[in-house]
Amino acid sequence: MRSQAMFFQRRSGEALADARLRRNLDGLRDKFVGMRARAVSAYADHGTATVPNPDFEALRDAGAAIRDRVLKDLDVWLELFEHKATQRGARVHWAKDGREICEHVLAIARQHGITKVIKSKSMLSEEAQLNVALTAAGIEPVETDLGEYILQISGNEPPSHILAPAAHKNLDEVADLFAEKHGKPKKTEIPALTREAREVLREHFLSAGMGISGGNFLIADTGSVALVTNEGNGRMVTTLPKVHVVITGIEKIVPTLEDFATLMRLLPRSATGQEISNYVSVCTGTKGEADADGPEHTYFILVDNGRAGLVGSEFQEMLRCIRCGACMNHCPVYQTVGGHAYGWVYPGPMGSVLTSLYTGLENALDLPHAATLCNQCGVVCPVRIPLAELQRKLREKQTERRLRPWTERAALGIWAWVAQRPALYALAAKLGVRYLRWLADGQNYIKVLGLAPGWTAGRDFPAPQEGTFRELYKRRQENRT
Amino acid sequence: MTSRNDILARVRANLGVAAESDAAAAERRQRALATLAARSEGPRPRISGDLAQRFADKSMAMASTLARVATLAQVPSAVAAYLAGLALPSRAVCWPAFAALDWREAGLDIAARPAHGDDLVGITGCFCAIAETGTLMLASGPDTAATTSLLPETHIAIVPQSRIMPVMEAGFALLRAEQGDDLPRAVNFVSGPSRTGDIEQTIVLGAHGPYRVHLILVTGA
Ligand code: SF4
Repeated sequence: MRSQAMFFQRRSGEALADARLRRNLDGLRDKFVGMRARAVSAYADHGTATVPNPDFEALRDAGAAIRDRVLKDLDVWLELFEHKATQRGARVHWAKDGREICEHVLAIARQHGITKVIKSKSMLSEEAQLNVALTAAGIEPVETDLGEYILQISGNEPPSHILAPAAHKNLDEVADLFAEKHGKPKKTEIPALTREAREVLREHFLSAGMGISGGNFLIADTGSVALVTNEGNGRMVTTLPKVHVVITGIEKIVPTLEDFATLMRLLPRSATGQEISNYVSVCTGTKGEADADGPEHTYFILVDNGRAGLVGSEFQEMLRCIRCGACMNHCPVYQTVGGHAYGWVYPGPMGSVLTSLYTGLENALDLPHAATLCNQCGVVCPVRIPLAELQRKLREKQTERRLRPWTERAALGIWAWVAQRPALYALAAKLGVRYLRWLADGQNYIKVLGLAPGWTAGRDFPAPQEGTFRELYKRRQENRT
Repeated sequence: MTSRNDILARVRANLGVAAESDAAAAERRQRALATLAARSEGPRPRISGDLAQRFADKSMAMASTLARVATLAQVPSAVAAYLAGLALPSRAVCWPAFAALDWREAGLDIAARPAHGDDLVGITGCFCAIAETGTLMLASGPDTAATTSLLPETHIAIVPQSRIMPVMEAGFALLRAEQGDDLPRAVNFVSGPSRTGDIEQTIVLGAHGPYRVHLILVTGA
């Protein structure tokens, strides 16, 4: 999808004003946060007050170490994976960007005479706007993850959460949509809606010639892709069509099945609070001659699209990400504005970092600031990505590259000049406090800030209670003696 | 090919190894190969006590149901009882390994073939089972169709108690020991019926795969 990340302020303003969205988001937060907390505490039962879950913490250390080991020698691991996957009968292609992803997929589809593609969730195909390219080429793409399917028939809406793409829609909205698009009487129960989608999609599963999936992990030792789903669409896509195309980022490699097993203890717990997802599929090569089912042709498309640029940089840790979604589930900003405000494929803290780095710092000016730096994200991230620290670094880069608006730069320049002159600073602070107290007019809060009315549009500004810090400090010292 | 080389060149440049010597390159490769050879295992929960009990408890936590029988010969009547109890059809497909069981005697009509889109009940075995999470480990092959556990609304799996492993790592080790280092085309880990939470995060069983998974634990096998 084309990035709309420049418009974070406007889009988040709209989200804040949308009462229905706010209710949907509250439900999302309560469920995901509670489920993860229960799963993590169930994993360890002998914690202390300071380290409540030593076993889970050890697991996070191990997860981060596995990802770091690969990133440190990423070129070597990519070649090892390519070699093994090819040896097992898959074809391995490489794509520098979204355009090359589309070219590869269209060429493969043409070669096999494909007219319909079933897709299991692939964020990279969102990065590449693959559905647009497929449709333009006369090939019908069908999203099969229920959430993605809802968005597709709702006029190709973008996802608002990486695990629950349609999290911004409630039951009623989905029911209306299904009644309209399926031409059936409106259902009001979630199980009935789910069955209706199952029946529609079952036809597509059985008739499509090609399946496209993402990959949760690539396993170098065996040349395999691992797919994690609850719905079973990942299994369908890798079992039924004669062609299977896997589109994944180059950073997705893990060395061994044992490493994969370790990461599988982290991913479902962090994502949905499950001990394991319903379906975990490890797919290797193509259908054997006597095999009962499976694809006759398997292709891997290994994608850069900005990832190589992070290797070896101060942002390399971001490449550890296993796309669990915990950071957004726990983010107070995401919980308030939802995923669409972020404007690109990835929302929340991981999205703020990835969008800035993949689409350009200058194209996502507000995203690194869409954070309180409370570091809830860093605390829950299963592979210990210091998300708050990375966002702070991005802010630094913006300042270094003079990307911040001139008003902000001028204000900071004036502040710096004044701050270097203690007497002037004291005077300015004194005047400032007097001014704010005058604005407050005896109240504890200021309703409208004269110089920054935007700040008080949706909240009050706390009024200073007494004098400046220096005045308070001085009085305190005097009282002591 | 050029994209491949461009991407690898960028990765190498950013890792600071673009101009490394052959010896240095060989050393990094060796380091990776040593990681592969070591197959070192990470932390895992302590799984103590009765593996079969843990498997039963965890599978039921994932919304599977479970029955125990002593021998394989008792499986057909257990299947018949389960299907009758839920008023489910008595026709099913099964893996060829179970074709010889006396299904007819139990009043069932079982065909030994892979499942099609309209089959309602599928009966499979498993490569092994994982006690840690209550999971079936299925390995694809000529006689172990993946569709049988996927397309029907009801999946019944026969689990020999001796094939219950503590953790996923043990499952992989067993697979290597019995079938060699190369993995079969698909290794599927199945934990309970398919589900989705995509509408209002409300969990609904029966998304694209089965609505129900029933396990028949064979204690004497
Ligand atoms: S950054 Fe961490 S918490 Fe966020 S999605 Fe990635 S792995 Fe999960």
